[in-house]
Amino acid sequence: MSEFLRILEDEVQIVALAFMATVYTIRLIWMFRFKAGKEVTNPVGSPRVGAAYSMMNVAMPWAMESARKNLSFYVQFVIFHLGVLVAITATFILPYWPEFFEAEPIVRIFQLFMGAAFAVGLIRFIRRITSPVMRLISTPDDYFSVALLTAWFAAGVFAMPNQHEISEWPLILFFGMTTLFLIYVPFSKISHYLYYPFTRYFLGKTMGHRGVFPRKKGGEKPAGME
Amino acid sequence: MSDKTINISDVVNLPLDLKEQKKALEQKSPAVVEGKVKVYDPNRDNVKNLLEMLKNRLSRQTVSSLVGCVHCGMCSDSCHYALARPHDPTMTPAYKADQIRQIFKRHIDWAGRVFPWWVHAKTPKNDEDLNRLKNIVFGTCTGCRRCTLNCPMGVDTAVLVRLTRGLLTELGIVPEGVFVVDKDSWETGNQMGVSQEDYIETLEWQQEEVQAELDDPSFKISIDKEDCDFMYTVNPREIKYDPRSIGYACKIFHIAGESWTMPSFGWDQTNFGLFSGDDKLGGYIAKNLYEAARRLKVKRIVISECGHGYRSSRWEGYNWAKYKQDIPSESIMITLIRYINRGLIKVDPSRNPLPVTYHDSCNLARSGDLTEEPRWILERVCTDFREMYPNRSDNFCCTGGGGALSMVEYKPLRMEVAKIKADQLIATGAKLVCTSCHNCVDGLSDLIKHYKLDMKIVQILDLVAEALVIPEKNEKK
Repeated sequence: MSEFLRILEDEVQIVALAFMATVYTIRLIWMFRFKAGKEVTNPVGSPRVGAAYSMMNVAMPWAMESARKNLSFYVQFVIFHLGVLVAITATFILPYWPEFFEAEPIVRIFQLFMGAAFAVGLIRFIRRITSPVMRLISTPDDYFSVALLTAWFAAGVFAMPNQHEISEWPLILFFGMTTLFLIYVPFSKISHYLYYPFTRYFLGKTMGHRGVFPRKKGGEKPAGME
Repeated sequence: MSDKTINISDVVNLPLDLKEQKKALEQKSPAVVEGKVKVYDPNRDNVKNLLEMLKNRLSRQTVSSLVGCVHCGMCSDSCHYALARPHDPTMTPAYKADQIRQIFKRHIDWAGRVFPWWVHAKTPKNDEDLNRLKNIVFGTCTGCRRCTLNCPMGVDTAVLVRLTRGLLTELGIVPEGVFVVDKDSWETGNQMGVSQEDYIETLEWQQEEVQAELDDPSFKISIDKEDCDFMYTVNPREIKYDPRSIGYACKIFHIAGESWTMPSFGWDQTNFGLFSGDDKLGGYIAKNLYEAARRLKVKRIVISECGHGYRSSRWEGYNWAKYKQDIPSESIMITLIRYINRGLIKVDPSRNPLPVTYHDSCNLARSGDLTEEPRWILERVCTDFREMYPNRSDNFCCTGGGGALSMVEYKPLRMEVAKIKADQLIATGAKLVCTSCHNCVDGLSDLIKHYKLDMKIVQILDLVAEALVIPEKNEKK
């Protein structure tokens, strides 16, 4: 392994990660400087249960009409985000536990996830370009973020065999893009995962307090029957 | 059915109608000179004021919704405007919320401040831009929150729309109808400008009606009586257009042997602050109600049938008024369930033989806790109750929510997008559509007339009153 690749996989990633963590911390401090809304009414339900339900919504496609009606989109969402998880995991394993990728089935599994995520990324990019609704609401950041992630998955597929003795370019490309990501993400919409718990928590807390979350499916005992 | 399509640019470019505002200014109406209802002033730097107010009104919750949108477009499938106008991407909730999000990004969020073009951050240039913003947030969204509950990220688009409405209301850049109702609310304490004299007279009239029906001169609607079990609060629409509902309710209370009263002031359970986005007005109206209950030393507040009234009085009003809820409040549906369950009133479902479906009000089902209660009652007072699909918190708005009924300039668009609701109603095959909201009654009435549906609108109280078995005098004793 060349010194350049070694530094890119190790020191550069640590610096980029530290940068991202710092910016995220500043971002959260910024968000928490805004006043918190306060519910002063007597509750009907539980804010905690509501918040937990809200945060688990992502794993309950049956609970949301938008997911129920667009199951293929939901499946794409799952694949895409699993791809992200697998790719991020790879960025840690490759430098610090390279033997892990010596087993071919493991390489193939990682490639499968990233390859599938790449395909979904392409579908999503095409959807964003071709759908009038998506075009209207999309910003350059939206296009760039999807494109960059999709390209990153492709780079990941080629980098996974971890054969730097044959060619370092796939690994340089993958880690180069990872560095770019770590620096760019806090300023882009990709950082939505940072906000997700808060957005869902705030909504869930209010809805739980009012007894709207968990959503009723019918047959529950009505109030007034005490 | 009508297949007329509105040109959305005609809606978005509707001018600001100022005649009522000018009149109020000329008359030096107290509500105006005290600065409670803001009058549009073209000489003021409205853009600058809007930006300053935006900074002050942001909360952690609204900021999370402003930064949380990933522009996935899933909300387009949940909005009745977007579903009824599939050819029109401007109906997408994310696009509507982006109108304020872009301003937020340009002036408050960091990426937008440094690279505005990269994230579509923008600033309104002049009052014309603010007027267009007004037409989008007031004219193309009823704040029904269906998109909110269907957003994978949990972005509360309806809250962002309401936030924007509130900013524009402060600048007087509002539809004429919103200005008039806000002004009436501030000046009279109720949103329809009902005078105290009219209110008392209507209650006396209903008292006489019930006395005659029950043949019981002892029946009385008490006003400002202290230490009763509960205070009954109504919608001004009931005083003006549907006083029978008050008679029905009071008759039921009487038969159930309740002790109740109605306040002479603070009786409006509705609250236009919810629609105009004006938290100060919301707090003022809600506080009138809570103070009336405290003054009369009642044990609880019973809220008559109204979706936005229930949401405002039971949930939002306490927050707007920063008023601790020391007296419990409940919908009349809960009161009715208690009576039926305890056998305090008897009902005969055979008196309502027509097929009935139930329309869930957005404010009851999506922003409130009432979905099973109306069904429990309907199953006991009707013989043929049919569900509407989708229902409960997935139901579609009546299309008259969010104060849309007061904004006549947007009615053609409202009727066009009501097609989704009309189709939903037709599919039930019901002859009666029941709702527990006066706003929905008017919204549904408009669309039933527009789409020529063979249906009538009723409320829970109408059906309970129809099914009510009035006890013989000696049986009562």
